[in-house]
Amino acid sequence: MEAASLGTKAVSKEEDPTNRRVELMLGVLASSILLFIAGMVIFTFFKGLPSFAANGLSWFGAGGNVDEQLGAIFNSPAAPADYVYEFHAWPLIWSTVVISGLSVTIATFLSVFSAIFIVEFAPVSLEKLLDPVIKFLAAVPSVVYGLLGILVVIPFINDNLINEEMRSSVAYVIQLDGSSVLAGVLILTFMILPIMVALIVDSLRAVPRVWKEGALALGANRWRALVTVSLRAVRPAIVAAAVLATARALGEAIMLAMVTGSIGFAPNPLDGLLFFLEPSRTLSATILDGEEGLSVEPFGQTMYAIGFLLILSCALLSFAGWAVRNRLSRYGIGAK
Amino acid sequence: MGVVDEQENLTNGSVPPLRQIQVEGRTAPISVAERVEVPEFVDQQAEYEEFDDTQPEWFEQIMRTESLSISFAGKKAVKEVSLPVNAGEVLALIGPSGCGKTTLLRSLNKLVDLTPTASREGRILLDGTDTDLYDDTYLRRRVGMLFQQPNPFPMSIFDNIAYGLRERGSKKPRKKELEPVVVESLKRAGLWDEVKDNLNHPALSLSGGQQQRLCIARSLAVAPEVLLLDEPCSALDPISTTIIEETIVELKEDIAIVIVTHNLQQAERVADRVAFMYLGDLVEYGTAEQVFKAPKAERTKDYVRGDFG
Repeated sequence: MEAASLGTKAVSKEEDPTNRRVELMLGVLASSILLFIAGMVIFTFFKGLPSFAANGLSWFGAGGNVDEQLGAIFNSPAAPADYVYEFHAWPLIWSTVVISGLSVTIATFLSVFSAIFIVEFAPVSLEKLLDPVIKFLAAVPSVVYGLLGILVVIPFINDNLINEEMRSSVAYVIQLDGSSVLAGVLILTFMILPIMVALIVDSLRAVPRVWKEGALALGANRWRALVTVSLRAVRPAIVAAAVLATARALGEAIMLAMVTGSIGFAPNPLDGLLFFLEPSRTLSATILDGEEGLSVEPFGQTMYAIGFLLILSCALLSFAGWAVRNRLSRYGIGAK
Repeated sequence: MGVVDEQENLTNGSVPPLRQIQVEGRTAPISVAERVEVPEFVDQQAEYEEFDDTQPEWFEQIMRTESLSISFAGKKAVKEVSLPVNAGEVLALIGPSGCGKTTLLRSLNKLVDLTPTASREGRILLDGTDTDLYDDTYLRRRVGMLFQQPNPFPMSIFDNIAYGLRERGSKKPRKKELEPVVVESLKRAGLWDEVKDNLNHPALSLSGGQQQRLCIARSLAVAPEVLLLDEPCSALDPISTTIIEETIVELKEDIAIVIVTHNLQQAERVADRVAFMYLGDLVEYGTAEQVFKAPKAERTKDYVRGDFG
């Protein structure tokens, strides 16, 4: 391309000083971003290290009331030697896993089916309408979702799904008022759905028409052609969308802090349906809630530790997503 | 395979019972592969030799269109075309771009029905039966198709060939059962020697010519009686084209072939019969020799001489 645009001069890349300058600049820029990210991760880790060091592996485990522990850390004596660090994050981790996991699972199914409908079955007029609407939905600020959660979803759950019997059955542990895992999962699903649909729609549209026609020409019916060829081909995109959605779910703090009750409580699956109606608090929401205490050193360090766990989870998630995508696309275009 | 059944038709002088079953019970069609295993198969080829195959009437029409018109949003792309497709022959559809030859081809396996604006008048007969009586999926197994662009699926070579077989029934055949068919199909498409050690490799890692032969093998695996080729060599280099053309000539013994081509030399090389289309009309139909050497219509004369198109 470059040689062609330069016509007969045909200057090679190495000889052209402008190219080299641009290359150098972009290289510096790209590597400085990498350095910056690495620096941030390392910084967060060392800041949170005292909290990890004081608790060891039990940092990740269960034990005691996590909110009381946070209170004790916040009220640590002023002398560094007397800092309180005891912290067992399990209820927060569990809450994060449950809420993000459920939301992403539900959203994955919903988004795949919505995308199929939009691309394959919706009339063109509807398709044209849905496209911008979905992209708009992906951009609605999460605090608005939180507001709707508090004003609409929580009262609905409190009035319709929770009865007095349920309330009294767990009254000695926790108070049920509608702020719950269910509210968090419902709204979070709705929040991450649009971006997933948008990504899957784009990749479904990119499936070559000749693949679908090829499948039909071999006697597959329309649905089978869709499942065995189109959906198969977009599996890497579905994984990518799910990873992106999980990252967003892990990082979502404001909305979840607003609608899940913000109580460091691990909902118990043995409670049956009550499980979904119990309050909890995710890791991100904990950092948001702890904002006022950050000036207290051990408390800040505990928050750094939580932050590091979040960064680490996202990194592992990206890596796992990359590995799965690689495996799924080994037969795809450009396969070797 | 079409030849075989037609032969049966001729010798018995009646419609074979299998056909009747298919017409009545179109929801549970008998697969072509099962029918191939009819024991009479061996004799029939020998009997066939006794016919004077220079006489057109001995060629059975495996497929036929009757006053077939295809319109897109009211605009006619194919106008009242009645065209026979003979078993054991290659029929080439030629004509300038936009003359409706690809539309005609795609209507033979009803792929054209996928276009929402398309509408059809007239009939398409397969073995004397109106194809409207068949499920589309069943029709497409008997009438296979090869596209202009090689279109292997993003799967392994094996899975590509096995695709049609796996989609044929509700019960998934096991890999062991599929293997002989896959091997046989690859051999008939002339690809076996090149891929026999790499059946698990991605089909998309093959070269363009190999991909197109893979697509031929994929069609053959479901044992079609007619194979539709839509400019199968237009994306290929001359060597791959030669190999594909040789394959076509070999295959026509068993499978009636309809090929759309812009390449008149190719039509001359592979076709037994040629249909020349212009602006949706079937202008001329005849043996390849007649159409190329002594065209009757003025338009055909101009086209095969290269005056237009």
